[in-house]
Amino acid sequence: MLPVYLNISFAAYFLSMFFYFAALFFKHKALSLAARIFLCLGVAGLTAYMLLRWQVAQRPPLSNMFESVVLFAWVVGLAGFFIDMRYRLKILAALVSALSLLTLGISFLLDKEIVPLLPALKSNWLTIHVLTCFIGYAALTVGFVASVVLLLTDEKTDILDAISHKTIAFGFLFLTLGIVSGAVWANSAWGTYWSWDPKETWSLITWFIYAIYLHARFRRGWKGKKAAWFSIIGFLAMLFTYFGVNYLLRGLHSYA
Amino acid sequence: MQLAIWLLAVIALFSLVGTLIPQNQQAAEYISRYGHTGYEILLKTGLLNMYSSWWFIFLMGLLSLNLSVCLINRFSPRLRLLGTFLSHFSILMILAGALTGMFFGEKGYVQIKEGQSIDSFISKGKPVALNFSLKLEDFIYEEYIDDEENLLVYDNEGALLLELNAGDDKNTAIADSGYSIKILRYVPDFSMDLSTKEVVSRSQEPINPALQVALTDKDGNSVESWVFARYPDVHMSAEKKFNFKYQWKMRRPKEFISRVAVIKDREIVSEKDIKVNSPLKYGGYAFFQSSYDKESLAWSGLQIVKDPGVPIVYLGFILLIFGLSIIFYVNPALRSRAT
Repeated sequence: MLPVYLNISFAAYFLSMFFYFAALFFKHKALSLAARIFLCLGVAGLTAYMLLRWQVAQRPPLSNMFESVVLFAWVVGLAGFFIDMRYRLKILAALVSALSLLTLGISFLLDKEIVPLLPALKSNWLTIHVLTCFIGYAALTVGFVASVVLLLTDEKTDILDAISHKTIAFGFLFLTLGIVSGAVWANSAWGTYWSWDPKETWSLITWFIYAIYLHARFRRGWKGKKAAWFSIIGFLAMLFTYFGVNYLLRGLHSYA
Repeated sequence: MQLAIWLLAVIALFSLVGTLIPQNQQAAEYISRYGHTGYEILLKTGLLNMYSSWWFIFLMGLLSLNLSVCLINRFSPRLRLLGTFLSHFSILMILAGALTGMFFGEKGYVQIKEGQSIDSFISKGKPVALNFSLKLEDFIYEEYIDDEENLLVYDNEGALLLELNAGDDKNTAIADSGYSIKILRYVPDFSMDLSTKEVVSRSQEPINPALQVALTDKDGNSVESWVFARYPDVHMSAEKKFNFKYQWKMRRPKEFISRVAVIKDREIVSEKDIKVNSPLKYGGYAFFQSSYDKESLAWSGLQIVKDPGVPIVYLGFILLIFGLSIIFYVNPALRSRAT
């Protein structure tokens, strides 16, 4: 009965994307409303799925690639909803819901089996570390989408630039929280807060790229397309931190 | 400012290289990957132990210097600069904490056999004496045992008499045969020393999983026997009345526990079960579960750490988060109220 919620969310995310794109072409209020409702439904379905999995596994569902991808689809969907409510930019909402759909699609390719927690993961830091990282990832993802739209169109450049900046600032703060909580956890599990393991190093590289972005904005007044390119580079580094390290490099962080 | 951006970019680039070349591996592994000449070149450049090479630390030093200069130049006691100040000062603190740990910290690794103690360890190539000794009372390796990992007991006609979970360690009656069975031990990779008849696990890999069971008849006579998952027809010292089938399932590690005692002046002053997320802290040192004897679970490997830099680093972490929150949220809120 568990996967039902996953399927419901997949369908809901698909319909949400469909209606957002439809609303782009046919300016009718009902279309955006339907898109928004389906986005909420998708998020609600994933919430139910994760809570049930939590109950069955008797631990937070945050401990392997499949569980993290579901979490990512959930938090990106939620971020998309907030961004839509705040800025009402249909193209942005359409692309963010498309990304949630894609992420959820990836989860279907991964091993769903519920496995018990490894000794290294048995810690209260697990929830804090994973949640802060993924809230950060989701915000940076929205920043990336806004930057892509900004590069592709010449309309509403200022708003897109502001959205990109705000989501990156928020994402940077949560990325910092994620790295810091990971360091504190590593210190309490292994006695070393930093060991230059590939995942740690790539999270730091990502952090550096966004730090450069923020400095270039503050001090050198980088805006618009120039800043957008930087946000895309940062996002690619983030993706590599999340997926690339696990599949291409080896290290301590072999769970997700 | 310009310089800081370039420094960050250069450090990021070198860090990236360090993730592509595996760090601190055996020479043989590098030679098979890069060849002899490749290995020699990489060794000379320090790229094999990059994050502690002099030039990487030099780059970090430059970054600290640059940050300090920026902080001094721009410092003014104005509230709207508080976030900027805190977030940059915190980076300096984190780096200072790391440096403190490098110079004044101690870090070492010990292997202790069950029943034995240690009272010193090697840190940075030099022995460090502890003013107490640490005794490993017991090393316990716990596993998750699947509900479907069962031992099935049949009679000679093939009728199922009992289905017992492999994690069950109680004496259980086998239907009404008058016999009872108890699971004594599990080994993932059965191997027997032919001269001593002692059973060990060759590894922790499930190559030849086996259960040791004790069969007791109604008079209390007991025989021990091994049952193999991969060789269902082999029973050692077989009890002819029954047939066994061992349905093996993948076991996963649940907990590594080092039961230790701290001994000072021949008295136990502290006892603790060290687990992966639960180190022993005593006398300024912390002892972490780090590895274990994968063959016979006879020893445990502990990481011993004393790092006076950690509080500085943690304070840096807190200031960094405060600083960023002020920059991104407090300052804009104040600005919008002002306008």
